Amino acid sequence: MTASPRFGERAAVALKDAFLQEALEIATTKFIGLRKDSFAGFPEGEGLRDQARAIKEATLQKLDHYLEQVADNVERLGGHVHWAATAEEARETILGLCRDRGVKMAVKSKSMATEEIELNEALERAGVTPIETDLGEYIIQLAHEKPSHIIAPAIHKTKGQVADLFSRELNERFAADPEVLTAAARKELRQKFLQADMGITGANFAVADTGTVVLVTNEGNGRMVTSLPRIHVAVMGIEKVIPSMTDLMVFLAILARSATGQKLSVYTTLVRGPRRSGEVDGPEEFHLILMDNGRSRQIAGALREALYCLRCGACLNVCPVYRQIGGHAYGETYPGPIGILLTAMLKGDRAVKDLAHASSLCGACQEVCPVGIDIPRMLIALRHRLDRERIAPLGERLMFRIFGRVLASPALFRLGAALGRLAQRPFVRDGRLRSLPLLFGRWTRSRDLPPLARRTFSERWKDLA
Amino acid sequence: MATRGEFLEKIRREVRRAPGLFAASPAARPDRPTEAAAAARRQMAERWPEALERFRQEFERVNGIFHRVAGLDEVAGVIRDIAREKGARELVAWAPGELGLDLRPSLEPQGVSIAVAPTDGRDDARRRHREAAARAPIGVTGADFALAETGTLILISGAGRPRSTSLLPETHVAVFDRERLLETLEQVGVMLEALHADAERSMSGGVISFITGPSRTADIELTLTRGVHGPKEVHAIFVGTR
Ligand code: SF4
Repeated sequence: MTASPRFGERAAVALKDAFLQEALEIATTKFIGLRKDSFAGFPEGEGLRDQARAIKEATLQKLDHYLEQVADNVERLGGHVHWAATAEEARETILGLCRDRGVKMAVKSKSMATEEIELNEALERAGVTPIETDLGEYIIQLAHEKPSHIIAPAIHKTKGQVADLFSRELNERFAADPEVLTAAARKELRQKFLQADMGITGANFAVADTGTVVLVTNEGNGRMVTSLPRIHVAVMGIEKVIPSMTDLMVFLAILARSATGQKLSVYTTLVRGPRRSGEVDGPEEFHLILMDNGRSRQIAGALREALYCLRCGACLNVCPVYRQIGGHAYGETYPGPIGILLTAMLKGDRAVKDLAHASSLCGACQEVCPVGIDIPRMLIALRHRLDRERIAPLGERLMFRIFGRVLASPALFRLGAALGRLAQRPFVRDGRLRSLPLLFGRWTRSRDLPPLARRTFSERWKDLA
Repeated sequence: MATRGEFLEKIRREVRRAPGLFAASPAARPDRPTEAAAAARRQMAERWPEALERFRQEFERVNGIFHRVAGLDEVAGVIRDIAREKGARELVAWAPGELGLDLRPSLEPQGVSIAVAPTDGRDDARRRHREAAARAPIGVTGADFALAETGTLILISGAGRPRSTSLLPETHVAVFDRERLLETLEQVGVMLEALHADAERSMSGGVISFITGPSRTADIELTLTRGVHGPKEVHAIFVGTR
């Protein structure tokens, strides 16, 4: 995925799209409510979140050991392990398997890791048809679009749009009814599951002690793609490994609650290598691709904590910036506040010189994160690094520098407040600052600000004292 | 391509450079998993009635349909009623040895044919059974664990216990008794630790499936819809001992 057009322009487009805005508002509000209710009736939740965080940290402290262990155990179970230092190596591994084994069609269950390596494009170029089977992903694949939300990739489309899309692509007229459309997708994709040569998945976890790859889904497509085709390939970032089955239960107890408010997702699938003798279903071959792609640099780096991420999406739902502009505007595989950090991890700081500022640092993300990732701290550090490298937008840097001076000096602050009140007059509407000219324009395009008060707090304080 | 050695060497280098953010350890595992599992079972031998009630509540909350019968001989009757309601004349089921009962003698005379899963994994038998599972409107399985806390059925695949039985048909029926009941995810953890501590059982079936209600999606305008890929309906039949 390329980062052009610039973030600012994409955000502006998103802000004008009334349906997207409304859908985002409804979806994120709903997810926030479901998550909250789910934790409200679950007093052990807080303790489990601390524990989950500790498990992630403990795993990173011996990551080399756990990776070796998971690889040995996958092989003991009859699977193959591949080591991919880069996205390209991961893609090449899969393309190589497709070539050697005459694969024509691959069914996929939703996986951020395969989006990260832009696998679908590579498969198509190699003459292999990739089919996304998560309903939301299937819709946007047919529409040639990108996901707008980690958990609900097609929330930006209306049922009318989906009906038109299905009617055109499947040569049959469908009503704009989610039941009807879901049934149509079931029928169509069922054939693909049965025909495909390869199933491709990501992995939510891999248990080192047992060599088990764990997939969590609600629709059952994860089960289909790991049971029906003759080859199963799982692509996994190295940070997904966890030590034991006991640890797995800690994560399962909080993952679905954080994502959708369910106690457990409908299906949790523990894959233990290829089909065993006597089994009817399951692949003849199982391949696990362990992918680095910029992650190992952060073990001792500034973004270490981002390696804890479970991809639950909770931080997106509560993020005021995400709620306004949606996932598309970020222009990257991983959207939202954590997405900024993951993008920096995979592509380097420079890749997020615009995005690093797409956060109000309100801290809501850290509060809901099931593994307590301190996203604001890392975003501030990232901005500092960018600032030092002088690649942040010039205007904004200047503005914050002046702001810093002014805040540090009472005399300047009083002068600034007086000047500001005069200067803001033409821009205040309904008691809010809605858009500002020049340097400040970028800042208010997606933010409404309270105007400066008629009298500052310190001016009023003097009267009260 | 990176080799295993190079790849791991790089990780090892980085791990050595990083002091870690805070002192942390993984979750404490049972020292003797087999004994811990036996202890959990002893506990459940006492507590199963509460666990069953909790299971029923949670299972119904996720839209499962719960049945309770007094003995194994009543199971076929419940399944016959479900088949009638669906107009189903064909059924797939786990092998009798795995399910704990043979449905054929009681259901075939009533006009419901039953494809029983093969246990030897021969290619032609596998193919035939897969086709039957793709056609059949109902699949009947056992359950290795029934988890009360979340209303979850846990199935371990293997010879005579195909994954497709609980996946391809529109209706899934799982039959279990009180020996299968567990209360918490933590207990499931103990059971899975014990399973993997046993060299032979650790190599059994390729997949362990946790199933919590019927397949669902909310991907179109956040409208909850059931049966997108997996079953639309999940039944649990609890078999008591008279
Ligand atoms: S950062 Fe935390 S809240 Fe956000 S997706 Fe990752 S685990 Fe979930």
